[in-house]
Amino acid sequence: MGWNASFRTSSGRTGRMAVAAAFLCAAPACAADTPETGLLTAYANFDLAAFDGPRAWINDRDEIGGTGKARFGNPDGNSLRVRPYATEAGVVVQPDFGWALSGLVSVIAQHGQDKAVDVNEAYLRWRPLPFGTVHMTLRAGVFYPPVSLEHGGSEWPVVETVTPSAINSWIGEEVKVAGVEATFSTLIGDHRLSLAGAAFELNDTAGTLLTFRGWALHDEKATLLSYQPLPAMNGFMRNVQARETRPMIDLDHRVGWYAKLTWAPPGPFQIQYFHYDNRADPAAFDAELQWGWHTRFDHVGATLDLDGKTRLTAQAIDGTTVMGFPGAGNVRWIDMRYRSAFLLGTRQMAHGSVSGRIEAFSTRNHGSEVVADDDETGWAATAAVRWPLLRQATLLGEALHIESRRDARLREGVAPRQNQNILRLTLRLRAATRG
Amino acid sequence: MSCARIWTATLLCAWSAAALPAPAYAADLDVQVRGADGAPVRDAVVSVHLAARATPHPHAGGSYVIDQQDIQFHPFVAAVPVGASVTFMNHDPVRHHVYSFSPAKKFELKLASKQQNQSVLFDKPGIVPLGCNIHDRMIAYLDVVDTPWAKTADANGHVVLRDIPAGAITITVWHPYLRAPGNIVSRGAILSEGTAHGEKFAVPMRTPPHDPGTGY
Repeated sequence: MGWNASFRTSSGRTGRMAVAAAFLCAAPACAADTPETGLLTAYANFDLAAFDGPRAWINDRDEIGGTGKARFGNPDGNSLRVRPYATEAGVVVQPDFGWALSGLVSVIAQHGQDKAVDVNEAYLRWRPLPFGTVHMTLRAGVFYPPVSLEHGGSEWPVVETVTPSAINSWIGEEVKVAGVEATFSTLIGDHRLSLAGAAFELNDTAGTLLTFRGWALHDEKATLLSYQPLPAMNGFMRNVQARETRPMIDLDHRVGWYAKLTWAPPGPFQIQYFHYDNRADPAAFDAELQWGWHTRFDHVGATLDLDGKTRLTAQAIDGTTVMGFPGAGNVRWIDMRYRSAFLLGTRQMAHGSVSGRIEAFSTRNHGSEVVADDDETGWAATAAVRWPLLRQATLLGEALHIESRRDARLREGVAPRQNQNILRLTLRLRAATRG
Repeated sequence: MSCARIWTATLLCAWSAAALPAPAYAADLDVQVRGADGAPVRDAVVSVHLAARATPHPHAGGSYVIDQQDIQFHPFVAAVPVGASVTFMNHDPVRHHVYSFSPAKKFELKLASKQQNQSVLFDKPGIVPLGCNIHDRMIAYLDVVDTPWAKTADANGHVVLRDIPAGAITITVWHPYLRAPGNIVSRGAILSEGTAHGEKFAVPMRTPPHDPGTGY
């Protein structure tokens, strides 16, 4: 008699999990997991940071932004400064409204931001059972577009490092939308496909920081009402542009859109293409002198698992942003092209992980009022260790080196070429309970 | 293994032995399932039907359980007799929304955290893929079979089916990632009375699509 009726007691659970993990997403239609619902999460991040380099872009909210590229910078020059920080704390509520409808409200406080407490994300999510082989997810509210392959989790933390790449730092500081997003996922043969599209508003100023400050690497997040400081601008722009940019604002009532196609062929590989266009009117402005920036970009992201423990992640972005009135030759005040790419390797260890990342970034200006002295080129290298201490505590160590050149630094009397080093020891405390 | 599980296993084994007394002319079948690369194929379901004779209907008594623990179904593949009632037990502190839309069985179960008592009757033979609407990485398969001789391969790709009547039989191997129509291969064999018959299957396997687990 051959029945394995006692399958429940068969060989070890760990082994079965490994098998299940090796055969992900087989028959039912598949998309990213729905976040856990019914949870109340509280978290706090503490840093011991050692840093040199120029004053950070967000160093002192009483002054204009610095020319540094990191979250911390030493205004005294190249000596190493060591400081403790309470960098971020927050509460995330994820209520259930039945089995298909859920919500997420994330409220955070961050060192360096002008709002003591503000909304990070807030949305409703509807995920009914699949229609045939197609799984649909709708969400509506305030959220980050699904670009980053480094972030994950309800409070949008960086998973394997402390500091995200330049690309995903920019997504966090300037590219957040209020809109409606639909995602459809299915399996075609052994290929998993997912198509997402969104219509949104409240992101008309995306591109402001990237133009005036350039790329940066930090874990600050734009919130619903926050303003971000800008560095010294040229004489013309100082008269027409507010000294701080507000990332989440609508100036022209034009609806922007983005679309994302993800393809997972058989094997340990996945690639995704993302296109964003905020359709902002570059001539729109308000009484604060916040302007519409018509920002578009194409983005490609991919992951490759070399084995069960080693993953390579890569992202590349190429976009433009345009602002101001047209002048001679129909050239607007600002017409800037930006590009960046990174490669991240992560090795899961018996306890935690080690990661290394290399990246490059650049901007090129072709506008009538902002020209080549605001161009920049740069690169950065990151090494990080993640070490879980307890279920509620994770320690991360990170070394970040950034080199960049930007002639516009001369406006603040800072040399165009800057090297920066930032060492961070970050303690993440996190507790979750079912509401 | 908990006491409850030992008790359950003992009960089921006792039931198995009593349900179909071994005929005197029975033989045993020892099957080894490997991939084209020689690696053992775990969780392949090996089943036997009698050739040129009616295959007895399986006994559907007893209890069958699919656990949900650590955001996974356990086991990944299970063979159950047609008519079996399978209990879905959620051991996780989070809820699961289990479903299947297979022709063999369409159902959905809303399992609150730590809720342990929802069962489903599987009354048609066929493959039943299981999913969770909340956790896409939760995947499992039930092979609902209409024969008393069926079993999933162990970690070594090994299955032993006992007390099969001697004579001509058809051996079937199924796995969700077996590269063949219906994910299935089969072949005939002749069992001699009172002997152990060995069969080796080398089956091509497909690589499943990748999910790096990114979300938002």
